[in-house]
Amino acid sequence: MLKENEKLKILVIEDNYGDFVLIQEYLSDEYSNFKIERAENFRIGRKLLVDHGDFSAVLLDLSLPDVDKPEKLVKEVLELANSSAVIVLTGYADKDFGMKTLSWGVSDYLLKDEITSSILAKSIQYSRERKRVNRQLEESEKKYRNLFDASPLPMWVLDRNTLEFLNVNKAAIDLYGYNRQEFLKMTVRDLWVEGENVGEETWKKNKDTSFSLKIKHRTKEGKLLFMEVETNPISFDGRDARVSLASDITGKMKAEQELYHSQQRFKALVQDGSDMISIIDENYHYSYVSPSVENILDAEPENMEGRNVFDFIHPEDEIRIKKYLKFAGNKKTVQLPSYRYKNGNGNWRWLETIMSDLRDDPAVGGFVANSRDITQFINQEQVLKESLERYDTVAKATSDLILDFDLETDELKFNEAISEIFGYSTDDIALNRKWWESKIHPDDFGRIKAHSREMVERKRKLMHTEYRLACADGSYKYVLDRSYLLTDTSGNPKRIIGSIQDITDRYNYIKAIEDSNERLREIAWTQSHVVRAPLARIMGLIDLLRNNRENIENITEILDNILISSEELDKVIRKIANKTER
Amino acid sequence: MNLKVLIIDDDAVVVFIQKKLMANNEISDSPLVFKRANPALDFIEAEENDKEFLILLDINMPGMNGWEFLNELNNKPDKHRYHVIMVTSSVEQRDKEKASQYPMVREFLEKPITNESCKKIKDIPEISHFFEKV
Repeated sequence: MLKENEKLKILVIEDNYGDFVLIQEYLSDEYSNFKIERAENFRIGRKLLVDHGDFSAVLLDLSLPDVDKPEKLVKEVLELANSSAVIVLTGYADKDFGMKTLSWGVSDYLLKDEITSSILAKSIQYSRERKRVNRQLEESEKKYRNLFDASPLPMWVLDRNTLEFLNVNKAAIDLYGYNRQEFLKMTVRDLWVEGENVGEETWKKNKDTSFSLKIKHRTKEGKLLFMEVETNPISFDGRDARVSLASDITGKMKAEQELYHSQQRFKALVQDGSDMISIIDENYHYSYVSPSVENILDAEPENMEGRNVFDFIHPEDEIRIKKYLKFAGNKKTVQLPSYRYKNGNGNWRWLETIMSDLRDDPAVGGFVANSRDITQFINQEQVLKESLERYDTVAKATSDLILDFDLETDELKFNEAISEIFGYSTDDIALNRKWWESKIHPDDFGRIKAHSREMVERKRKLMHTEYRLACADGSYKYVLDRSYLLTDTSGNPKRIIGSIQDITDRYNYIKAIEDSNERLREIAWTQSHVVRAPLARIMGLIDLLRNNRENIENITEILDNILISSEELDKVIRKIANKTER
Repeated sequence: MNLKVLIIDDDAVVVFIQKKLMANNEISDSPLVFKRANPALDFIEAEENDKEFLILLDINMPGMNGWEFLNELNNKPDKHRYHVIMVTSSVEQRDKEKASQYPMVREFLEKPITNESCKKIKDIPEISHFFEKV
């Protein structure tokens, strides 16, 4: 029904004036207030429709003078009429054609001869109502289309049987990287990951029902996505279809996986780690012991849980540990000093423990103790300590000067021999290489410098050298230097340890022997001349006598000379004998 | 003969023996005898340049000793004119080696020299031509 204030506005396109007047009268019978306009031909009608588009209804006569083809006329008017209802007026002869116009969008057709006031009014009223409903339907469809297209979640419509894409929204295009044309040539199978059939199976089981599934999709670029898809059967343009709404849960899946890994890691740390983790209540009873205790202490957690911590701690360490535990409540964490702990085989192991106060944490409700077996470390430390003590004792006991030179810091250390043998007070000297080198005799310095350079550069482990070293009083001592090069694990020189022996006495002794030998050699040489001279003479004279017996005139002279030479020889031999006796 | 024979030795008995042997072995009837090395050096320097010298040299002598004498000779330009026979009572190898360093030392003999020694002297290649029989 028309509302009171809504004024009816009718356009009549009719060449026959009589018909127009008739219509006008019919309308006056039904409506008190209306406006009517007339167009005698299509040209005028068109102009009126274009200029004033807001007619309530258009009454169109099909036989107009400027129109040959009524079909063309109807269609053009429908287009121009826009929101106005179009009612076709026709004669008997054109009844079939009038019916046909309905399928083009005409609201109603009236046979001119049958029109009465009430028929016309009713037709106008119905036509207008139908038009309004249609418009609402169109708008609603448009709204739904917008909802699909503008949805932030990827959506698509599939053929229910072939799984071909019939429509996709922008979010899907953005997510998967295929454009609309590409999508419309694909099926949803193209999104599925090769080798997985969860999509196929779920679809087969639920062909005509709603379902949802989690599935892996691959984008055009090959990126893997975890998707959660909800899909409902619909009818789409007359086809059996389903509309699907997908959400990307890749991030969620990743987070879940990470959580899982993190839990696994934590489990591995507690169960198989090299630390024993336990929870201890306020009375020092174990309420939890990690399974790793089996590897670390050869013990079973169930044999320990419920027992007092001090059942396992060495009695000699008990008081010390208890003292520390007093502070356990004051601070969040307390590091206990190393202590002995009885393992599953009854042997003592050294442990080191960090206690954390988690009594307030309902998941724990006690102290968390993190313990590590440091027995090996303690033993090594002991060995090291003994070795150091030995080194110290040797350095003290030896009369050698022990030198420890750090190549990196240029720091020199000596034992007491530096003052006892060489007279230096360690307070007065600069303990570095430069000082040391200044104490080497200048004549030896070049040689020693070359040696020590060779040691460091060629990494020679051991080096024996002899040189003179200045004492505090300026005198020199002869020393035998046995130096040993220490390297780090990569073989880089770190330190030189030198054992320097005072060999001055030995050196002087050897020198004295060498001098004495030299003198003896000289004496021997002289003696051989002195002794041999008279002997050679005697031998020569005798030879002369024997070979020239016939023609020697002065035989007496020869014999005299033999005698003189013999006496000389005798004298020399006596002299030597005397000297040796002394 | 252009070869002059010199005996340099401070021991009179040695000189006596050597003179006798020189004569007996026809090396020289009248060798020149020097009790000291210095005068011998003076003598050599005074001699004419075409003369060559066979020198029997003792090592151990007062004043200039045998080695010093050799050093003097070594400084002279015409070393080929000197043919030195070292004659010493020393039996030390060191002396023998030392002597061999001097180019004009032809032989190293231990005292006393004998006829055998004289034959060796006459066979020395540098001077053997002086003793060839005509």
